[in-house]
Amino acid sequence: MAQASNPAVSFDTREEVDFVVVGSGAAGGIMAKELAAAGHSVVVLEQGPHLQAVDFKHDEWGYQHNNDLVWSTRHGNRQTFRRNENEEATLQESVLGYAHNVGGSSVHFSGNFWRFRPIDFMEASVRGTIAGTNFADWPISYEDLEPYYTKVDWEIGVSGLQGPWDPPRSRDYPCPPMPIKGSDVLLERAAKQMGLTSYPAPVAILSQPHNGRPACIHCGFCNGYGCEVNAKSSSMVTMIPLALATGTCELRTMATVSQINTGESGRVTEVVYFDENGTEQAQRTRAAVLCANGAETPRLLLMSANSMFPDGLANASGFVGQNLMFNGYSSVVGLFDEPVNAWKSVPTTRVVHDFYELDESLGFYGGGGIDGRHPTAGTPLGFALSAPDMFGSPSWGAEFKENLAFQFSHCAAFDGHSTSLPLATNNVTLDPNYQDDFGRPAIRCTYSDHPDDLATMEWFLNKTVELMEVAGANSINGFYPETGQTGNVHLLGTCRMGDDPMTSVINSDHRAHDVPNLFMCDGSSLVTGGRGQPTMTIMALAFRAADRINQLAQRNEI
Amino acid sequence: MPALLHACRESRQARLAGEDFQTITEEEAIEFDAITARIIPTTETAGAREAGVVFFMDAVLGDSREEQHAILKDGLRELQSAAVQEFDVAYFHLLDARQQDQLIESISDTSFFFTLRYLTIAGMFSLPEYGGNRDFVGYDVIGYQNRGAWTQPYSFYDADFTERGE
Repeated sequence: MAQASNPAVSFDTREEVDFVVVGSGAAGGIMAKELAAAGHSVVVLEQGPHLQAVDFKHDEWGYQHNNDLVWSTRHGNRQTFRRNENEEATLQESVLGYAHNVGGSSVHFSGNFWRFRPIDFMEASVRGTIAGTNFADWPISYEDLEPYYTKVDWEIGVSGLQGPWDPPRSRDYPCPPMPIKGSDVLLERAAKQMGLTSYPAPVAILSQPHNGRPACIHCGFCNGYGCEVNAKSSSMVTMIPLALATGTCELRTMATVSQINTGESGRVTEVVYFDENGTEQAQRTRAAVLCANGAETPRLLLMSANSMFPDGLANASGFVGQNLMFNGYSSVVGLFDEPVNAWKSVPTTRVVHDFYELDESLGFYGGGGIDGRHPTAGTPLGFALSAPDMFGSPSWGAEFKENLAFQFSHCAAFDGHSTSLPLATNNVTLDPNYQDDFGRPAIRCTYSDHPDDLATMEWFLNKTVELMEVAGANSINGFYPETGQTGNVHLLGTCRMGDDPMTSVINSDHRAHDVPNLFMCDGSSLVTGGRGQPTMTIMALAFRAADRINQLAQRNEI
Repeated sequence: MPALLHACRESRQARLAGEDFQTITEEEAIEFDAITARIIPTTETAGAREAGVVFFMDAVLGDSREEQHAILKDGLRELQSAAVQEFDVAYFHLLDARQQDQLIESISDTSFFFTLRYLTIAGMFSLPEYGGNRDFVGYDVIGYQNRGAWTQPYSFYDADFTERGE
């Protein structure tokens, strides 16, 4: 169960610390460690508990159905959804999914760790802007970020093998790729027959011991679960211990931030939060770094509106909360004569990246990648619930039961992961009707996939169906969210980075254009969403942002 | 009804009657037990009954699932009315298997059935600490092994891949 963290250092809330970091996830963990290692006093405010490997179980009911890690509406973390601003948003069990624990979603994510490529940072220039969207170049390039991708590889721990389509890297992966799974043998053989290239998937899971952590034991419970042996490279196991070991970082768990206060000069002076007893506290600080994720960071800025910042903090552009991107997806499942047992080991061990950029002649913008999986991440309960729909078989009775026994071990899925265009109309705002248990306005998500994103998903579905046919599957059923996505776990673009203060929220140092001692770094910083698998880029950005912030601090420029 | 079968039913009822249910009533327990046993029947492998699905339901319906419990209560009343109307029997669990399946078929697109099916499957495949999947009999049904670790070969295909040196 949750353990109270035992901070080596403890700061008084009235004492001005150098930095308050809001959130301890993929970005926050790195930020805390890097700022503290540079000698700064740091208070990390994390709204969830500090779980450890020993707390995690193969508990499908608890994690997938009770939402024990992601705290949905049933836990008082209410969220609403609507497709467009003309609709009334309705309360949903879960819309924007993210973990509430030290390490954030890096604890329970799949660990797929694709780097973005040079094209992702300059696609609007190369491809041309797209009318009606906020499709834009990044203010930084792949070359700017490459040293930090490599830092993630080695400090966090990534397993893989440089592939033929991969962008240049300054150093090899620290760990070799994961051993191939049956589902990926089927993908690789089909890809070869179609003249495509399948190669080892990069994952933030250790294939061999690294940095004092053990190798993966292939239990099969990655996607949605905390790793029971610390082989998954979450910031909980990689960065937080190092941050705390500096002796200048205090981690406050069960601390729910409600407001960033600014003084007369328009600078951040304190961060207001509810402590574990629900008592309001305010930590004085010289600067704040928001790493709360692409939903929570914009909500916090919007909630922090005051007389000087009437539309929300750092929101002169009006872009706070806008340009929400999810990434598109598709999945096809097939049955095979022999056992595939894709429920064992990590989610995926092979990727096909021949379609990173789809041909413009198709008439729509898009691109993505394909990997092999078990259709329900290998878990029995989820599979039994969805198998009848997947295979068009009876949903109850003896035949249902008999089918399940065969289907569970004899299936493979080929998934598409694809682009998502940034649109002003897709956003996170404050819900006027609902609040969470702390009285904070509920997150209201407004979202409709762009037609090009839907066309891209359909294209990937068709391509994976073709692969599945070539792989020799007996029964093939595919799916993509053709009526549009109504939620996701990739929460990107809502405080985008840019040089122009009129069309972005932070500059390339991750500093808010409007507030000199306020920084944001998490999924919200992304200008474009890549092709799925954003966490590697979020972590690389965090190392880079921390570097920039440390330099600014050293020059006394914050 | 053959005397032996009847005696088995009686004994089953007596066993459930002796249980201390926290959320559902004894009547609900006996009726849900019978319905879930048709959703995942006992065949040569274990079914919902052996997995203790009704005990799982009792546990999780008491955990912020009042809405689902209300759906089940209403649905059960309607199902029992249908049992009276069709077969002149007051309780679902007193019908024979063919009659039970016929009634389930007639309600298979209702939220009552969806909720029951959801909880039956969940009770079959969740960790035993939630009350169902006793002795992991649910996992046995689908050939899933709840082991902490695996090594290659995972399956026919990767074994073949390795053997061919691909």
